[in-house]
Amino acid sequence: MNAAVLTAWLTEFARLVSSHRDLLTELDSAIGDADHGSNLDRGMTAVLATLEKESPPTPAAVLKRTGMTLVSTVGGASGPLYGTAFLRMATAAGDDDTLDGPGFAKALRAALDGVVARGKAVAGDKTMYDALAPAVDALDAALADGQPFDEAIDAALRAAEQGREATTPMVARKGRASYLGERSAGHQDPGATSVTFLIAAAAATLSG
Amino acid sequence: MTTGLVVVSHSRALADAAVALAAEMVHGKDLALEVAAGLDAETFGTDAVAIASAIAAADRGDGVVVLMDLGSAVLSAELALDLLEDPDQRDRVLLCPAPLVEGLVAAVVAAASGAGRDEVAAEAVAGLAGKESHLGVAAPVAVTETSAADVTASFTVTNPHGLHARPAARLVSEARDAEAAMEIRNRTTGSAWVPASSLTKVATLGALQGHEIEVRASGAHARQAVDRMITLAARAFDETAPPAAAQETGAREAGAQPASPGIGIGPAWHLRDSIPDIPDVPSQGPDAERRRLDQALDDVRAEVRRLRTSTGGGEAGIFDAHLLLLDDDDLLDDARTRIAEGTPAPQAWEAASSRVAAEFAALGDPYLQARAADVRAVSGQVLRSLLGVTATPSSGTGVLIAHDLTPAEAAGLDPATVAGIVLAAGSPTAHGAILARARGIPAVVGAGAAVLEVATGTTIALDGRTGETVVSPSPATLAAFAGRATEQAGRRERALSAATGPAVTPGGVTIGVGANVGSADDALAAAANGADHAGLVRTEFLFLGRDEAPGVDEQVAAYRAVAAALGGRRITLRTLDVGGDKPLPYLPSPHEDNPFLGVRGLRHSLAHPALLADQLTAIATVARETPVSVMFPMVSTLAELHAARRALDEAIARTGPGRPPGLQVGIMVEVPAAALKAATFAPHIDFASIGTNDLTQYALAAERGNPAVAALSDALDPGVLRLIDATCRGVGSRATVAVCGELAADEMAVPVLVGLGVRSLSVAPPAVPAVKEAVRGASPDGLARHLLDLPDAAAVRAALRQPGRVSAVSTARVSS
Repeated sequence: MNAAVLTAWLTEFARLVSSHRDLLTELDSAIGDADHGSNLDRGMTAVLATLEKESPPTPAAVLKRTGMTLVSTVGGASGPLYGTAFLRMATAAGDDDTLDGPGFAKALRAALDGVVARGKAVAGDKTMYDALAPAVDALDAALADGQPFDEAIDAALRAAEQGREATTPMVARKGRASYLGERSAGHQDPGATSVTFLIAAAAATLSG
Repeated sequence: MTTGLVVVSHSRALADAAVALAAEMVHGKDLALEVAAGLDAETFGTDAVAIASAIAAADRGDGVVVLMDLGSAVLSAELALDLLEDPDQRDRVLLCPAPLVEGLVAAVVAAASGAGRDEVAAEAVAGLAGKESHLGVAAPVAVTETSAADVTASFTVTNPHGLHARPAARLVSEARDAEAAMEIRNRTTGSAWVPASSLTKVATLGALQGHEIEVRASGAHARQAVDRMITLAARAFDETAPPAAAQETGAREAGAQPASPGIGIGPAWHLRDSIPDIPDVPSQGPDAERRRLDQALDDVRAEVRRLRTSTGGGEAGIFDAHLLLLDDDDLLDDARTRIAEGTPAPQAWEAASSRVAAEFAALGDPYLQARAADVRAVSGQVLRSLLGVTATPSSGTGVLIAHDLTPAEAAGLDPATVAGIVLAAGSPTAHGAILARARGIPAVVGAGAAVLEVATGTTIALDGRTGETVVSPSPATLAAFAGRATEQAGRRERALSAATGPAVTPGGVTIGVGANVGSADDALAAAANGADHAGLVRTEFLFLGRDEAPGVDEQVAAYRAVAAALGGRRITLRTLDVGGDKPLPYLPSPHEDNPFLGVRGLRHSLAHPALLADQLTAIATVARETPVSVMFPMVSTLAELHAARRALDEAIARTGPGRPPGLQVGIMVEVPAAALKAATFAPHIDFASIGTNDLTQYALAAERGNPAVAALSDALDPGVLRLIDATCRGVGSRATVAVCGELAADEMAVPVLVGLGVRSLSVAPPAVPAVKEAVRGASPDGLARHLLDLPDAAAVRAALRQPGRVSAVSTARVSS
């Protein structure tokens, strides 16, 4: 995977976010401040413009520009969270011109660690962690099991989708949704939903 | 100094308005204030890149305080720190948890006045205090449980002087008792986490009133440990009253402060520097030096415990703080490390304690700075013990002049010969000053180094109420001081002369008013206050704080000393009253889940027959010389009393032929069942003394120390009064009923007790004169029996305040 492949991944993620913008906003209106869809769409639109204008040469450069752009354009909590995730991925990716499957998995693990460090979320808090963590675990496990990257990233997507579904009955313990307490139960978490799009975009565009 | 400020908000408009509001406070003073708010003027959001730029712009090298609104503002600000390229700049930034609007106003005012980063942040956090206080809202306590093994919580310091020695000591002992590893940090100043079990580390947090302190614990019992700590914090760490700072002013030397009231006139004498010279002797090897230090620490611990016991009262906490220092890991590890590196014990100890004292002295708060004196005091004691140097002769005649006074030195002063104290340094809240007040010695502190130059023997006059100190007073000045002294002494004399007379009720009943004492010094105070006898001698003072039980001879000498101090008046010796809550090191007792309902009092003595035999032998010996009563605590059954009396008979037989003529035998009534069975005990006792403190706790099932139920534990509850009534009626004329609990010192309660049939009272020595006056004023109107029918303690108090309306109150309350 070179810079162009990662740009394709992010372009697909931007498309999924844009086409599900109203869904994300609707989910967020139930338990938050109804801005997740519009915030993330604004951020990813800005990311695509930046990547098109600058054509960063390496995977790390693509990821770093993505992170920095999100930090300045999303506005809500997903700005620093996604921003940290991409910045940590950039650091983990190193200076190479390409990433292999294990390299991508390592970067995604770093992204997850960044989300935990920034948001201090743990399993069951009803956050993006609840979809991203099982996806990263499944990706690592499948690769360790000797599966090809295509199958491994499909396994990661299935794990993310299961994790996303599991957020519905949870009571939120982080972010604006936590102010709702028990009333947050019964709604799917918007952050877990958007991060599942990120994995879905990876499954659609990346191959080891 | 210019502390930078950065305002992070989702909304540009909100941030601009908050800044405008705050700017009104400082009228165009120079501020390094930057805003990073909104994605643009209209779009809500926070931008970590913009925040990083704002921090860089606000940083003039003196640090930056960042105030945030909520949610992503906090996350973006944290990310902004990651984005700063200069690690030094990152270290200068403090993300402050203060509320944005109140915090910004307070922070702007502090920053404009040149305050440093931590102070600005502290002011910002305290910005909410005004609103909380106005609305009467308790400081919020947030508890979060991140996992079963890691619990965190936070509390706001309410103690006026912050976590100074005594509250800090309470916190540390709670942490040491916890079955979990606890750490705390000062969130307001952004301090690092420190072990909650180290007094020196806790003190370096600089936790002032209003600061938010975070607690975290791990281990199986982390949850309980944190809960207990938060509960303790809610009780202000059991600090009953803020350390009093004398406020009066008057004609006096600049800087001198009144520290203990009274007039002192006399020749000056000096207490020389208490830190001895350390001889240059090489290390005898790490093992030997370490043993030497451990031995010295043990000796000083025992000495401090002894002083603590003999001092008693609220001042005991000072010595608790010293005991914690003697066990402080930070201090001891440092000294032991130096010893391991080949330094002799005295030098190692001196270096380690100097470092810790310097850390205290460097703290920003004057009250915490004064804690350095505690470290130096303990350090000096240990050094003297290490070097085998006798403590400075601690008592002379006249006015003591010293640089400062350690608690040990203050406790060793003899009020009979020390006319007053003038300290060059010190503060009215220093422990030495508190002890001077407790011992009734007039004192002035902060008089300046010049007083140290006053030649020994020069006449000094001081007024501890105004802070005036006059060296070589003129005859006129001397006469004025002497006049004030005579006037004060006269007042005291009149009160005391009445106190030495008998306490007789208007109805002609004589009530013996005695004193509760815990040492020969207490007994002297009791005699001086006109006590008719000692109604309770707490013999525990002989048994606590040592590694082996006192022998018969030592006990005989101690009991004799108490009797002599009371001029041969009757002394009531209570046998050892301890339990599993405070086990004696030489009598290890098995763990009890509820020691207050376990093996304590007489039960404990009967379980240790040799110990009881020694004590009764000593008591019987003294009883052959002077009037003695022996009293068994915590009696529940007649069988226990019989066993105790058999042991007493054996002890008497060991001390000679026949019975000591004046020996009386009694029980303490603390167990409700014993009160109700008073008639059963009556034929076998000469007196029953009601311990109202424990009786109340047991009767109402409410521990006085537990704030959640403390209000229940009121000795004037009609249920408790009925138990007292049952005791008096059960005993009848066969024995005397006494009260030796705190209720006896409640002037309002005295007529009730007398009315129910109590014929002897025993109270703290200073309370004797007032209790005697209360007996003399007790109206014999049969009021006491009406009170038994009232519904609760509040109704009893109301009735006692308006005795004429007792019947109406009674009827109304019962029928409502």
